[in-house]
Amino acid sequence: MLKFIKNNLDKVRDQFEEGGKFQRFYPLFEATDTILFSTDEKTNSGPHIRDSIDTKRVMILVVLTLIPLYIFGSINIGYQNAVSSNLERGIFGNFLFGLFQILPIIAVTFASGAFWEILFAIARKHTISEGFLVTCALIPLTLPPAIPLWQVAIATSFGIVIGKEIFGGVGMNIFNPALMARVFIFFTYPSNISGDKVWVAGPDGYSGATALSVPASQPGENAVSLLTEFAQFDFSWMNMFWGWIPGSIGESNKLLIILGAIFLSYIKIINWRVIVGAVLGLVGTALITNFFSPYSSNSMFTIPPHYHLVMGSFLFGIVFMATEPVTGCHTDKGRWYYGLIVGSLTVIIRSINPAYPEGVMLSILFANAFAGLIDWFVVQSNIKKRMARYAQ
Amino acid sequence: MADINIKKGHDIQISGKPELLVYPLQKSKTVAIKPSEFRGIKPKLLVKEGDEVKIGTPIFYHKSNPDLKFPSVGCGVVEKIQIGPRRSIEKIIIKLSDKENCENFKSYRLHEINTLSREDIVESFIAGCLFPFIRQRPFNKIPTKIEFPRDIFISGINTAPLSVDLDLALQRKQSQFQAGIFALNKLTDGNVHITYSEDTVSDTMLETKGAVHHTISGPHPAGNIGIQIHHIAPLNLKDIVWTLNAQDVVRIGTFFLTGELDVSNITTVVGPSIKKPAHYISRIGNEMTSIVHDNLQDENFRLISGDVLTGNTSSMEGHSNFYDTTITVIPENDEREFLGMLRPGSSTTRYSLTRAFFGSKSNGFDFSTSKNGSERYVVPINAWEDVLPMDIMPNPLYRAILVEDIEEMEQLGIIECDDEDFALCSFACPSKIDVGGTIRQGLDLMEKES
Repeated sequence: MLKFIKNNLDKVRDQFEEGGKFQRFYPLFEATDTILFSTDEKTNSGPHIRDSIDTKRVMILVVLTLIPLYIFGSINIGYQNAVSSNLERGIFGNFLFGLFQILPIIAVTFASGAFWEILFAIARKHTISEGFLVTCALIPLTLPPAIPLWQVAIATSFGIVIGKEIFGGVGMNIFNPALMARVFIFFTYPSNISGDKVWVAGPDGYSGATALSVPASQPGENAVSLLTEFAQFDFSWMNMFWGWIPGSIGESNKLLIILGAIFLSYIKIINWRVIVGAVLGLVGTALITNFFSPYSSNSMFTIPPHYHLVMGSFLFGIVFMATEPVTGCHTDKGRWYYGLIVGSLTVIIRSINPAYPEGVMLSILFANAFAGLIDWFVVQSNIKKRMARYAQ
Repeated sequence: MADINIKKGHDIQISGKPELLVYPLQKSKTVAIKPSEFRGIKPKLLVKEGDEVKIGTPIFYHKSNPDLKFPSVGCGVVEKIQIGPRRSIEKIIIKLSDKENCENFKSYRLHEINTLSREDIVESFIAGCLFPFIRQRPFNKIPTKIEFPRDIFISGINTAPLSVDLDLALQRKQSQFQAGIFALNKLTDGNVHITYSEDTVSDTMLETKGAVHHTISGPHPAGNIGIQIHHIAPLNLKDIVWTLNAQDVVRIGTFFLTGELDVSNITTVVGPSIKKPAHYISRIGNEMTSIVHDNLQDENFRLISGDVLTGNTSSMEGHSNFYDTTITVIPENDEREFLGMLRPGSSTTRYSLTRAFFGSKSNGFDFSTSKNGSERYVVPINAWEDVLPMDIMPNPLYRAILVEDIEEMEQLGIIECDDEDFALCSFACPSKIDVGGTIRQGLDLMEKES
């Protein structure tokens, strides 16, 4: 069977290679060929032996890490639906309900993502980059389950084309393409996604406040007591940690996200400095807002740091979006500053900006924009040290 | 005296480790010297096909400096002078006679060497064609005109995969090594630095006088001379330092003590495709067939003169390179694994510096020539930074070279770099980028512009 596939691939190989009938579609052939069978490329310049790691493996491991989030997301969608419609369904029933909600979203994301990726690969004559798998696996997790599919298609297209391809593809982009997709919906169709109403796949007209919009809309109160008293959903710290609250598909269970972060840091694919930096930034800034809370009627100032950590999509954002190696800082020192910016900006946007209760997406995009500048300072400090030595 | 502890880097656990015993090799029929492997040297021949030469007879010199002569590494008849494209001289093959003789020059007693003047030493170096054994930093090439260096550095430890154990190779050569150090000491106003492992046991290096001793520990590239210079006394702009292989110091010492050029080398013949990996007594420019003769265990293999990270592909008809003391043979790869990227991996199928596979980093991995992936754009996951023990930022430097920004390359410290120090970066890179090759391009560009 395997031999059959391999022989057939080898048979048509000529037609896709230079001078062949389907020469234009070589990227498509190459992608199919090397996804099915690992490459037989040999070293010719440089070291004669190479590490077993390649970008395919890096990307596929990130995708695998996201699968538990998809599973929990499905169950939670079903659960929230059951609660809102007063049904009893059981975990498996919830899972099936949720799965049927998110499968179309995943399908539309991958279809539109692959369309643009292949189109650009053929037009630009570059190989299809595995990076789009990660981008397309991330996009649905950031979206509410009830999102219209046409918005998913447009957003994914925007993310891939404007977020990545116009810069030259993976490795050249400035902003995280998955976040670009989300931010597109955020600003163009704010009613569906801006974060002050919950997103439940439930009966028509069913809605409610999100955990972050509860204190945001009631000035002069203590956020924690507001959340505990909130009747519609259980916004206790524990419940927000376990993720049985409405939200985007993949961000609600914090335990799975933390396990994902540990796994990806352990295998050295993401850099822990970004995550630790962001948590420190968030905690530090939250403590500052707590300190000033008596002088302000803004209830957001009273949210303690450990609540900030589990509210909204902060953990999901810093683990899977901020750590994206290309759009973040490229130096270890820079990664600390970059993380700090993401963390503290998240609290600042949440607390001070009245328009958006959630701030992690915007703060990551903002930090993306500054990543190059931060790196520049780090590189300059290295240069300065050396120039001082040269001058002696 | 410094005690350097290298943390970044990696000792690649490749199978075919050399036994710590030295075996003889059968005598080869020919030896060769390849003028093309000396960067920046424009050879002018001193012999023609059919001429008789002895060991140490000058056979060509550098066009702009007749004092920079290259010795014949065998005694016999010049069998063939291979001419390559644009009439470059590729290879001079010497057919060896049964009994080999050496050119004879003036010899000294050990204590006399220390009393010689710099001029005497230079004269001996010129007569004995010893300058090719010296390499100059920046740019890591033979000094084409004599500018006495700030310091001279000698690495007494090899950390490259499967390379010669210098502690073993230098055993019982104390007086020769000492003589070499005395001679080199006259060529610099600064110091002669030798750096060796903390675990060195033989007296050859430990008891050497007239040199500053350093110890170094840690994984490869700790044994690379560039890394040692960086940690002992880094190169500043306009600095020149010389570097030598430890075995070549012995060679120079022997020349001063006996008046003859010794062309033998302790060489490791190693790798997954070698039956009996060990140290062997080889010689400069030796015939590959006589080195790996009867010692191969794979059908489809790649023969490398040098180690797996920095060596050059050779063939059975080829000859080892001038400076190489490692001959590695690894199997060529032609396997394709179904859904390879999804396999969990095991210690026999995967080897990675990341932890992206189960059970990688085995003890003695059968590496092949597989690239394990295709070339992609850089995904900066610190793969380069984690194996470069220098205060140099590889990523910005790589980019500066790509855009040919000479000024920034200099600011980022390219003059301290050599491609061999970045070979591990290329090894570890998930995007399969040849970082070392790019560093070399950058150095060539710098040299052209300066």
